[in-house]
Amino acid sequence: MDELYLDNIDEYVNDHNKIVTYKWLSLTLGVHVNTAKQMLFHYLDHKRKESSAQLHATYLVSGKSVDKGQTSHKVSVVREEQLEDCKSKMSLIVSVHVYSVQKALLKDSGPLYSVDYDAVKDNLKDCSRYSAIRCADAVPMSSLELQQVREPQRAPTPEPEPKKTATNGDVANGTSKPAAKQQKGIMGMFATKAAPKNQDADKEVKTEQKEDAPVVDAPKSKPAAKTNPMTNFFGTQTAKKPEKSVKQEEAAQSSSTAEQQRQSSKPEEKPKAAAVEAPKTSKKDSSKTKRIEDSDSEDEIMEKKKRRRIKKPEPDSSDEDIIPDSPQQMETKEKSPSPKKKKEAEPVSHTHQSHSDIKTRKRRRVMKSRTFLDEEGCMVTEKGYESESYSETEDDFKPTKPALKDPVPAKLSLSSKQDEKKSQKKTSANANKGSKQASIVGFFQKK
Amino acid sequence: MTTLTRQDLNFGQVVADILCEFLEVAIHLILYVREVYPSGIFQKRKKYNVPVQMSCHPELNQYIQDTLYCIKPLIEKNDAEKVVVVIMDKEHHPVERFVFEISQPTLLSISSDTLLSHVEQLLRAFILKISVCDAVLNNNPPGCSFSVLVHTRDAATRNMEKVQVIKDFPWIVADEQEVHMQEPRLIPLKTMTSDIVKMQLYVEERAQKT
Repeated sequence: MDELYLDNIDEYVNDHNKIVTYKWLSLTLGVHVNTAKQMLFHYLDHKRKESSAQLHATYLVSGKSVDKGQTSHKVSVVREEQLEDCKSKMSLIVSVHVYSVQKALLKDSGPLYSVDYDAVKDNLKDCSRYSAIRCADAVPMSSLELQQVREPQRAPTPEPEPKKTATNGDVANGTSKPAAKQQKGIMGMFATKAAPKNQDADKEVKTEQKEDAPVVDAPKSKPAAKTNPMTNFFGTQTAKKPEKSVKQEEAAQSSSTAEQQRQSSKPEEKPKAAAVEAPKTSKKDSSKTKRIEDSDSEDEIMEKKKRRRIKKPEPDSSDEDIIPDSPQQMETKEKSPSPKKKKEAEPVSHTHQSHSDIKTRKRRRVMKSRTFLDEEGCMVTEKGYESESYSETEDDFKPTKPALKDPVPAKLSLSSKQDEKKSQKKTSANANKGSKQASIVGFFQKK
Repeated sequence: MTTLTRQDLNFGQVVADILCEFLEVAIHLILYVREVYPSGIFQKRKKYNVPVQMSCHPELNQYIQDTLYCIKPLIEKNDAEKVVVVIMDKEHHPVERFVFEISQPTLLSISSDTLLSHVEQLLRAFILKISVCDAVLNNNPPGCSFSVLVHTRDAATRNMEKVQVIKDFPWIVADEQEVHMQEPRLIPLKTMTSDIVKMQLYVEERAQKT
């Protein structure tokens, strides 16, 4: 082994004032971890003999320790001063090696993690390239195997979504081993519980487990994909959607804990809502997807499950079909009529604050085109869904007050909010024109 | 690649938010590392996916937040040249000054995909550097206190008055005594350059501290 590494380490420690951990050193110099540990030890030895600069080191001690009669394997990172103390407390020492070398006396262990974070992140696929831990059985599952494992869990659930599994299978190829293992654990949980009632408990446990899952989006999207309505979001939408579905799932969780009576009907409602939404999402209108996100964030705020269904983007007649259907289905699911009616009335009353007439008014999403001036002074016409209040008796041409939606504004979309206000004024202006035109046409027809 | 101008205030707000969050973490970390306050009040929290030490003391936290709330409009308009965390001894003579020099390019061109994660990585490096600055600095005398100074371009303090009235957190022009340090030694710590901001951190240290 040539002596260049001593100069390298010297440069890192003294000139750059870095914390040199063995893991970082092995990834930087491209050597096996055991070699890196020896390098650090030699360097420390060398410098101590010279006694030039003041260096601090931390050590990793691993061994068996007896604690109140119970033997356990303990691995700890200790400062040099505490090394002998720690070694004496252990009954059997398995390994002791240098963990890091640095100039500064570290007050806490936080920076040791930060040092390795970026190095590991850059080498995420093969960060164990130089590692001494090996297991021949631990290999990532191929997409075929993943599909096979997923098929049995799909059987008890009502919706077949073969397209989604293919997507998720592709996503799975890029994940790391621990994510695949955790996935297995979650899916194993699903295999045993088939009843729809238990699905809610699964969803809740899943969201907890999901929080423990690694930060990478791909594994996050897989647990979310297990929930039936959530799977609809993945086939057609971009990576942003997993985050949205996570939000939705958390909303579902929070609303389910809040409204315990309605839990049993939730899985049934959700598939219906999702089925309705599926044809819509395939269109992929950017303003529409924004609407979905807005409506979802609104739902979190209001925490009304029924509200979410009514506000799904649907043009005209299909919406009316759905709304009468849902109350029927809810009745069949042993819901008492009074809470159902309350739910229908409540979301309606919430939005129509200005309307005294509560019972006959409903809300629907209508495809409207908004014309507005953008920053450069160009007229832009955008088609988008807007919630509109209407009552069964009213004429379409009459200008109804479009209730102002309250999207939670992202920082970069303040301008769009202003545009929306402008456009809503314009739609009411257009509607006025519409009514005028109707009367003019009527005038000619009389002749 | 999108080209945005300073007039695009939304983007300026985003940058100001990122910087103020970072400054809050950095100030807490400086207080921890330089032992301005006993380490018992600090608690490990997570920022940029790494552990950092933040204080739990409500009044200290409120003070730091109010300070940054007033600085934020200056950063938005690119009026803040330097943000300085001054550590002073018992006689209110500065002992150490941690200087964050901030500059934002007037014409921002961003490729948004990896921008934020890149910035996060750079800020993580800053945090790491503050954690190890012990090695290059001498120890401070006991009983130190700290304050935050802002050097602005031109006469931007007029804008600050509006914010002050809202928050009831008055800023005053700093004394010569606080700004000037005898026999300073300059120790550079870290520099970062990114599409949205350029920042430099260095420490001015008094040669004799006690």
